[in-house]
Amino acid sequence: MRQTFRLFALLLRGYLRDRTALFFSLIVPLMLMVIFGYLNLGDFGRVSVAIDDQSKNQSSAQLVQILKGIETLQLTDLPTDQALTKLRRTELDMLIVIPQEFAIAPARPGQNVPQIVVYGDDARPQQVAVGRQIVAQVIDRLSFAITQTAPVIGVKEETVQGVRLRYVDFLVPGILGVNIMQLAIFSVAFALVADKQRGVLRRIMATPVRVPNLLAAHVLTRLIIATGQVAVLLLVALVLFSVTIVGGLAPLFVVALLGSILFLTIGFALAGWATTENQVPAIAQLITLPQFFFSGVFFSKNAAPALIRPVTNLLPLTLLNDALREISVQGATLWDVRTQILGLLIWTVAGFILAVRLFRFEKF
Amino acid sequence: MTPIVQVNDLRKRYGEIEAVRGISFFVESGEVFGLLGPNGAGKTTTVEILEGLRKADGGAATVAGVDVFRDPAGVKRRIGVQLQASAFPDNLTARETVRFFAACYDLVVDELALLRQVELEERARQPQAKLSGGQRQRLSIATALVNQPQVLFLDEPTTGLDPQARRNLWELIRSIQARGTTVFLTTHYLDEAEILCDRVAIMDEGNIVALDPPRKLIDDLLGRGFTKPVLQQKANLEDVFLDLTGHEIRDA
Ligand SMILES: Nc1ncnc2c1ncn2[C@@H]1O[C@H](COP(=O)(O)OP(=O)(O)OP(=O)(O)O)[C@@H](O)[C@H]1O
Ligand SMILES: [Mg+2]
Repeated sequence: MRQTFRLFALLLRGYLRDRTALFFSLIVPLMLMVIFGYLNLGDFGRVSVAIDDQSKNQSSAQLVQILKGIETLQLTDLPTDQALTKLRRTELDMLIVIPQEFAIAPARPGQNVPQIVVYGDDARPQQVAVGRQIVAQVIDRLSFAITQTAPVIGVKEETVQGVRLRYVDFLVPGILGVNIMQLAIFSVAFALVADKQRGVLRRIMATPVRVPNLLAAHVLTRLIIATGQVAVLLLVALVLFSVTIVGGLAPLFVVALLGSILFLTIGFALAGWATTENQVPAIAQLITLPQFFFSGVFFSKNAAPALIRPVTNLLPLTLLNDALREISVQGATLWDVRTQILGLLIWTVAGFILAVRLFRFEKF
Repeated sequence: MTPIVQVNDLRKRYGEIEAVRGISFFVESGEVFGLLGPNGAGKTTTVEILEGLRKADGGAATVAGVDVFRDPAGVKRRIGVQLQASAFPDNLTARETVRFFAACYDLVVDELALLRQVELEERARQPQAKLSGGQRQRLSIATALVNQPQVLFLDEPTTGLDPQARRNLWELIRSIQARGTTVFLTTHYLDEAEILCDRVAIMDEGNIVALDPPRKLIDDLLGRGFTKPVLQQKANLEDVFLDLTGHEIRDA
């Protein structure tokens, strides 16, 4: 422990003296955020949704009313067959079918729960993801209100205020997750492989230093930097994009840091394995790209082929993004996202073991 | 007294290359031992096996009473090393660099005293990367002394240094020896070996071809009837250089 902290103190001091590295470690995430934020904002607009209300009762009218109140959604009434055609032509993003015996009422045991069918346009997965999330949230809140037997009318107002999910709100947790992943893996892998090539690691390994302590000191150093990065990203998200963070900042930070540690261990494993700097980007891309596409950063996770979805759902970045998004968008607490946290911890342990195992200061 | 380094039939190959071909020797406690040989002779390979940094393919070796193959960490605790090619962590001062290595041994040391020992006390706050070649070698020796090693391994400590800095380093090595530390060094400079080492081993293509005190090796050669083709000059160019530029170290 003492060894870890003494090494950490010196590594951090060295890192903070390196102004260029420091600059880039804070500027790059900022740029990513701004670029992705603006790019996606521009082309996103609103989600166009068709509603086929087959029940036309009080309950369905109430649901439609709530959905209409949400600014992100652009609602039209259309029968299913027409809507599906439009959907295929990508003139629509989503179709919501409200079945005939729809009711907003507490379900009794054995009774069928009313099923709302949601069709999404595969070509516009981002919009569909946002739309689905909004619908899910509205239904969550309605159900919650029902089971709490709170007056439904009161809930309606709350819902209209609460569900103001815009695309940035959906995007920011994802960007946060991606940044955490990229920075942790790339910065660590490059720096350590450089150390390896210059012979720094050889010199250190000529001492009886305990490898887990050395790795932990490196992890702690990067964690301090990562904390700064997360803070900057959140600040920009709040100030520039006025992102709504429904859940607390504290749980968001906790999960973000857990994610950082996880990806740092993966970065170390990669750095331990690689012998030249040229190997780093290739392998790093191999690790990060699939996650980038399949873990719901910019695209809905459901855009991944169903066959591989069981796998993509377990990817580290998927777990991280899910947790961040649930906290940020749905106001989840740490306890609510405990499955994801558990998943992150399992990955972290695996990453650390891998890092210690693969740690080679030179190839022999 | 048992030798502090014992090597028996040590072997190492890299694929096709037989870098070390079954060498045996020992180093007495307290001596300065030199391993000489042309490029690629296998010096670094031998030294780094003894330091617990490379795995051997065969043979046996003990350093400071510890079996190198069984307990490399135990060896590392008892020795100090300067590698032929290595670098220090980025962006640390000379003093912090010493502290970093002390932390690697989980020791707290008087960093300034160590820097004083290698005549770098005034450079304590200077970034390590901005030290001159000679200063960096001395810092490197300071980092190798943090654990008060029983054996100090120096792989080509004077390569790339000017004559003054080399002589300065010889003084330092002698003072380390005077404190009772065994010094095991490699070098290409034969004058250095002659002046500094109590005994030298000459290595060629993975074998030790001679091992004796320098004086004895020279006498043996003369005994075999060797004469230099040209008469030994009374002075050489290095003497001229030192006469013109003085013996004072330049970058202290
Ligand atoms: N890591 C390695 N992989 C493959 N071959 C190696 C490796 N290290 C050394 N060799 C080879 O082993 C032989 C001995 O190398 P070594 O570095 O021990 O020589 P040396 O006597 O220290 O040479 P120098 O005086 O140039 O430092 C050389 O032929 C070298 O090419
Ligand atoms: Mg060598």
